[in-house]
Amino acid sequence: MTFTPLEAVTLVFVLGCALTAALLRDVLAAIIASAAYSLGIAILWIVLQAPDVALTEAAVGAGVMTLLLLLTIAKTVRPENENEFERPNLRSLVVVVAFAGVLLATVPALPAIGAADSPVAGGEVTQYYLENAYEETEVSNAVTAVLAAYRGFDTLGEAVVVFTAGVAVLLVLRREVFV
Amino acid sequence: MIWELLLTRYNYIVVALLLPIGAYMMIENRNLVKKVIGMNIFQTGIFLFFITSAYREGGSPPIVGSGGEAATYVSPLPHVLILTAIVVGVSLTAVALALIVRIYTEYGTLDEVNLREVRADE
Repeated sequence: MTFTPLEAVTLVFVLGCALTAALLRDVLAAIIASAAYSLGIAILWIVLQAPDVALTEAAVGAGVMTLLLLLTIAKTVRPENENEFERPNLRSLVVVVAFAGVLLATVPALPAIGAADSPVAGGEVTQYYLENAYEETEVSNAVTAVLAAYRGFDTLGEAVVVFTAGVAVLLVLRREVFV
Repeated sequence: MIWELLLTRYNYIVVALLLPIGAYMMIENRNLVKKVIGMNIFQTGIFLFFITSAYREGGSPPIVGSGGEAATYVSPLPHVLILTAIVVGVSLTAVALALIVRIYTEYGTLDEVNLREVRADE
């Protein structure tokens, strides 16, 4: 696909927000940066033609996640810092740069973005879903059809995970109700 | 060569930069809340990899019949997997933050180094 200015700006914005969150010492500032990061990612999903994921990211990633983080610092502390920025540590930097190097080395092996013959977008499973989803489930949104019908057990598993997480939160906080 | 890679695989390059940023935050930031933010950045990096792999040149969102007979669609499968992963990620964050609140009520600090000292004193 052609590299549009919108996408270039969004990618730079996302990387900038991630770096800001990593480098600022103030926790509240880092939370705000991570909320902006989630919003940038949601725009990126729109650009990549994934509106369902964009809606979830904007509501859950930028909304609920930020709320949870803010509630946490409201219940604990927002430490006072003399330093505005984190001091980079050479040892971890070496490890992380090596990690980035390994990941970047795999990039040339990946198919070009948007290629019609890429294993996922042009694959057999994708074709099956796109051709048969409407006839078999009568849902025109293929994402919904796969989520609720073909991979319904996955979604059941997801619900179990959310339930377990809720129970775990109550247990850890030693409370019996959420409110 | 590198210029061409940048122009055709830009999202994958961003993935390869986001994952180390998240990993760095989890290793190096002393505040536990910031470690959780780092974990979220690592997660979304992986999500970007999946959604990018689903993209197809000129494709429309996978709503069958929306673009006429000859329309090409992006792949729905990675979208579904990532929808599930986002919700699971939020559950994970909620449990992690609950543990952080509990750690603060028990030890009175959220700083990794101070926490180690407090625990060693006991």
